[in-house]
Amino acid sequence: MLRMTGISKSFGAVRANRDIELIVPPRRIVGLLGENGSGKTTLMNILFGMVRPDAGSIEFDGRRLEGHTPREALVAGIGMIHQHFMLVPAMTVTENVMLGWDETGRWLHPAAVAARIQEASAAYGLDLDPDAVVASLPLGAQQRIEIIKAILRGARLLVLDEPTSSLSPPEVSSLLDVLRRLRDEGRAVIFISHKLGEILDVCDEVVVLRDGEVTGRAEVVGVSRQDLARMMVGRDVTAPLGRVSRLPGQERLVVNALTVRDAGGTIRLRGMSFSVRAGEVLALAGVDGNGQAELADVIAGLARPDSGHVFVDGADVTRGGVAARLASGLGHVPADRGTEGLVQEMTVAENLALRDFDTPPLRRGPWLDGPAIRARAVERMAEYDIRAGDAEALVATLSGGNQQKIVLARELGRHPTVLLAVQPTRGLDPGATKFVIERVLALREAGAAVLYISTELEEALAVGDRIGVLHAGRLVGLMPRADADVTRIGLMMAGALAEAPGPAALYGTSPA
Amino acid sequence: MSARPLAVSLLAVALAFAVSALLIAVAGKNPLVAYGALLQGSLGSWDRIAVALNKATPYLLTGVGVALCFRARVINIGGEGQIALGGLAAAWMAMRFPQAPAVVLPALALGAGALAGALWAGLAAVIRLRRGVHEVLVTLLLNFVGVLIVSEALQGSLGEAGAGFPQSPLLARAAWLPHLIPKTDLHVGIVLAAVTVVVAHFLLWRTPFGFRIRVLGASAPAAAYAGISPPRTFLSVMLLAGGLAGVAGAVEVLGVHYRLIEGFATGFGFNAVGIALLAALNPIAVLPAGLFFGFLETGALAMQRAVGVPSPLVAVIQGLTMVFVLSAMGLTARRRRV
Repeated sequence: MLRMTGISKSFGAVRANRDIELIVPPRRIVGLLGENGSGKTTLMNILFGMVRPDAGSIEFDGRRLEGHTPREALVAGIGMIHQHFMLVPAMTVTENVMLGWDETGRWLHPAAVAARIQEASAAYGLDLDPDAVVASLPLGAQQRIEIIKAILRGARLLVLDEPTSSLSPPEVSSLLDVLRRLRDEGRAVIFISHKLGEILDVCDEVVVLRDGEVTGRAEVVGVSRQDLARMMVGRDVTAPLGRVSRLPGQERLVVNALTVRDAGGTIRLRGMSFSVRAGEVLALAGVDGNGQAELADVIAGLARPDSGHVFVDGADVTRGGVAARLASGLGHVPADRGTEGLVQEMTVAENLALRDFDTPPLRRGPWLDGPAIRARAVERMAEYDIRAGDAEALVATLSGGNQQKIVLARELGRHPTVLLAVQPTRGLDPGATKFVIERVLALREAGAAVLYISTELEEALAVGDRIGVLHAGRLVGLMPRADADVTRIGLMMAGALAEAPGPAALYGTSPA
Repeated sequence: MSARPLAVSLLAVALAFAVSALLIAVAGKNPLVAYGALLQGSLGSWDRIAVALNKATPYLLTGVGVALCFRARVINIGGEGQIALGGLAAAWMAMRFPQAPAVVLPALALGAGALAGALWAGLAAVIRLRRGVHEVLVTLLLNFVGVLIVSEALQGSLGEAGAGFPQSPLLARAAWLPHLIPKTDLHVGIVLAAVTVVVAHFLLWRTPFGFRIRVLGASAPAAAYAGISPPRTFLSVMLLAGGLAGVAGAVEVLGVHYRLIEGFATGFGFNAVGIALLAALNPIAVLPAGLFFGFLETGALAMQRAVGVPSPLVAVIQGLTMVFVLSAMGLTARRRRV
């Protein structure tokens, strides 16, 4: 039914898709498995006409799709169900189905549409009331509205992007039932996920993506979790970067029984505890959205935990804010450098002063010391090889790599005793990535404790002296780098394996 | 900062005059004659210039406060109410201590105006921060309340008995703002306003407080990351802008009318928003923008008398200028320095 061949797409220096082949026959559910940033979403955006590929061809039902728009993809019979639903909360199910649908016509016939919704709902076990207002429905039902929209519009291929991420377990199993029914009556489904269990449960075939390339494809019958995990994270892990091995010193960052709930009351961190010693990098791996952001915010002083404590060099800083963290010697490279780590509309010099503009030597009496700010900026720009016209250039005009160098220069330039680095290489080209990692390791050599949070397992393995794995707000594994086993970590990341970290791992030491 | 925003503003003014000229021509009048009268009426004599500078004074004071607020992305459109209460407090102070010496009394009254304006803005800020009601709504609605409080006061204890119009009695001479040039109406308010504008410029670009305002306005997450407290910065900039608007109201009462009059500052707060935008939120550029509005309005009546072009045409010119400036900003939607 669908045949995508030789699909390649680059964004700047990042090759999001490399010569990908994806074939989806009718009556099949094909799983697309991969970590964050492996190219799944780009591939689907290309299919749906939201992104133009650099090379490759798409054939759907024997017709070539080229330079098509999302609307044309819809008309051709491809239905996309996004992670975030495209529904109007204040309208009823019927009204949402009619919205933007050609068959609705110039005169609305809600009763007729409602009847068709009833009919389809019964046929596929969707259990939808056409007159219900969307805002009053649980997320699972909202997702079924999206599915019914796609079916009524004649979609013969349904693409579901991470469809289970916001569903409860019973909702997940009823969704999988619906997908099986759709398959059995002749449609095809592409099921995008990084959850091994669901892929094995519902798919007929699985295609694994990593770094924009297909690293494996298999019939689900006869494949094991271990095989899939290995394909997902890669068989050979790059050797750890050369470094002086040394015994770590005293505990510099201690996190004790942190629990965090979000505004909706959902638990995001469940009693998380660990410590990082001087001269050590603890790398936390895990799929994005498993508590990384909450953990980072609490450690950085941007959020308060519901319970638990954060200690920096023995001092309890839990209740203090960002200022207390700065005073305690914590450096922080935030995940979002675009709007959090940097102010795009301000100059390089101002951004380098962002976190200590209010203290001497940058502040003199009631004034900002402009010459001092500029002089230090010039110094840091040379030291960290920040390529900007001059210190007065706007940050927005610089490349991502140079922007991240500004953040690093600012945070490392203060010689922190503890560094919190959250996905510091995201979106950077290989050269800039290497630069960032080298600087972080140099800081470790200087005796700082580094907590390195990454969603790229290989990077975590390359940087960390110990590796921790986050899943569903828990630290499900913690081991010295030497004992790290890729397959096992892959399983932990997918939530298929959890172990209570033993004392040796918790306070673990001697890197190989 | 750079020459570009200045060029944009000048072009916008020119276009506004050009379009208004068409309107005048359509009405069967000669635009050149009308504009001549406008010029004569605003710059034609020392007297006219004095009036125009007096007119611009509250605009400068309020406009610079609004510009600082907007820089922090605090959309304070409560100038109208803050000015009204500033005027009320100044009049009350002047009537309360009529025996005070001539230098002390205006200072006391100006201080009372500043305090009242700041409190009124602070009230809006607290409602925003505590109850989460957006500041646009709160400041806008408090305008009506503030203006009505002035009316209420004039109907009651502050009103002049038997005046037939809601106004206070004439204030004691000791409370009047000293004149800058004898035999003209020009009072010292314009000096106060000009100094304020320059101070605000340095405040925004050279102090930690200004840095906080700029970071908060550009990116709230970056502000939190930099250890800047958004609520505290929000409250500070609102208090500052409210205080300046309160002084504007006090200056109007003490320097122009010598009494509190109902509706003495109608439209001032909204003009201040226009001026802040025309100045591209640069405090120093508020100076030419505010003077432009002041001179334009001063010439309006002369234009009406001379050629029969209704004076509200000036509001059309102001409005068109704003439209052109904002359009130009929209067109150059590239990231601008904050």
